[in-house]
Amino acid sequence: MKTLKDMLGEARLIIPEEGPAEVAKRLAGGEKVVVIDVRDPDEFRDGHLEAATNISRGFLEFRIGTAVNDPSTPVVLYCQTGLRSMLAAKALKDLGYSTVINLQGGYQKWVQSGMPTVRDVAMTQDQIQRYSRHFLLPQVGDKGQRKLLRAKVLLIGAGGLGSPTAFYLAAAGVGTLGLMDGDTVDITNLQRQILHTTADVGKPKVESATRTLKALNPDVNIIALPTRITVDNVMDIIKDYDLVVDGSDNFETRYLVNDACFLAGKTNVHGSIFQFEGMATVFAPNQGPCYRCLYPTPPPAGLVPS
Amino acid sequence: MKLLLGIGEPLIGRLLTYDALGMRFREVRLRRDPKCPLCGTSPTITDLAIHRNGAGGACDVSETDGHREGVGAGVAPKAGG
Repeated sequence: MKTLKDMLGEARLIIPEEGPAEVAKRLAGGEKVVVIDVRDPDEFRDGHLEAATNISRGFLEFRIGTAVNDPSTPVVLYCQTGLRSMLAAKALKDLGYSTVINLQGGYQKWVQSGMPTVRDVAMTQDQIQRYSRHFLLPQVGDKGQRKLLRAKVLLIGAGGLGSPTAFYLAAAGVGTLGLMDGDTVDITNLQRQILHTTADVGKPKVESATRTLKALNPDVNIIALPTRITVDNVMDIIKDYDLVVDGSDNFETRYLVNDACFLAGKTNVHGSIFQFEGMATVFAPNQGPCYRCLYPTPPPAGLVPS
Repeated sequence: MKLLLGIGEPLIGRLLTYDALGMRFREVRLRRDPKCPLCGTSPTITDLAIHRNGAGGACDVSETDGHREGVGAGVAPKAGG
């Protein structure tokens, strides 16, 4: 009779193993790879790799076809310590999947190596209703909504561009919104800065913004930063966010934010306007141009209004 | 939203311009500039030091002729937000 040791030994002969760093590199590389977590649902819920789909070992052969429809797509399997997934990997190989990799040491080693994990909190009934229009979109779904709830976006400027951006990101359930603006609300703002109301005139913009956004969606954690962004605070502030949205109102800030985001590897969503003209683009470090590729230096002072 | 969700085609490498009076959108392809002082092949900006001497210090960057890519595409810089 075969022992467990025998079965694992047989599997090891045909299933390659990759450690956490190698798998992380594979995931960051951009090539198509499917990650399957073969643990039980409660283990998965307590923490898993963000890219992973959960198909517990018992259902693997039944559900793998839906998760991976092309048998040549590389599949990385993991479990808690790398044993269940080793046997699961052999089963996939037997089914005809050509490239099946076992995560060496499993989820345990992944965590010990300091690799990022995510934890899904069950959505409340309120959230299921609130985001129902997202669940209907195949490109979003439950998984997409969880990504939004985990996301952290920094808005530089809570004014003309920051207002609608903040409104829609909050409505969509972006979990953490940093709002950075050192100004107070002025009556001249209210013609377009819809985040603020007449009653807010004189108050710090981030204060009125926080109140309005929380009223719209209490799920959102607003981090109010009632200061201007400066060369001394920018790197420290942006490091905690996934994305920066630059809706600032002067060239000095735009160049500072551009440079800081590039140096920190942060994607910078840029929007700017002048009278009846607007422009938008995304500056993603090392994927596309930066602001200085377009405009290496600012226009002479006074020539183009801020 | 697309960036957070990993869907669709965000405006990386594209500039979308909007003329609200004429109700026209225009798309301009953008390229990384190998001579860019920040993200080019031989960057001269490797930290934020130039922002310390007021007005962003951005004018002190290089002797290049200004708004290459953007103005070449007929898109004037804007700071409003």
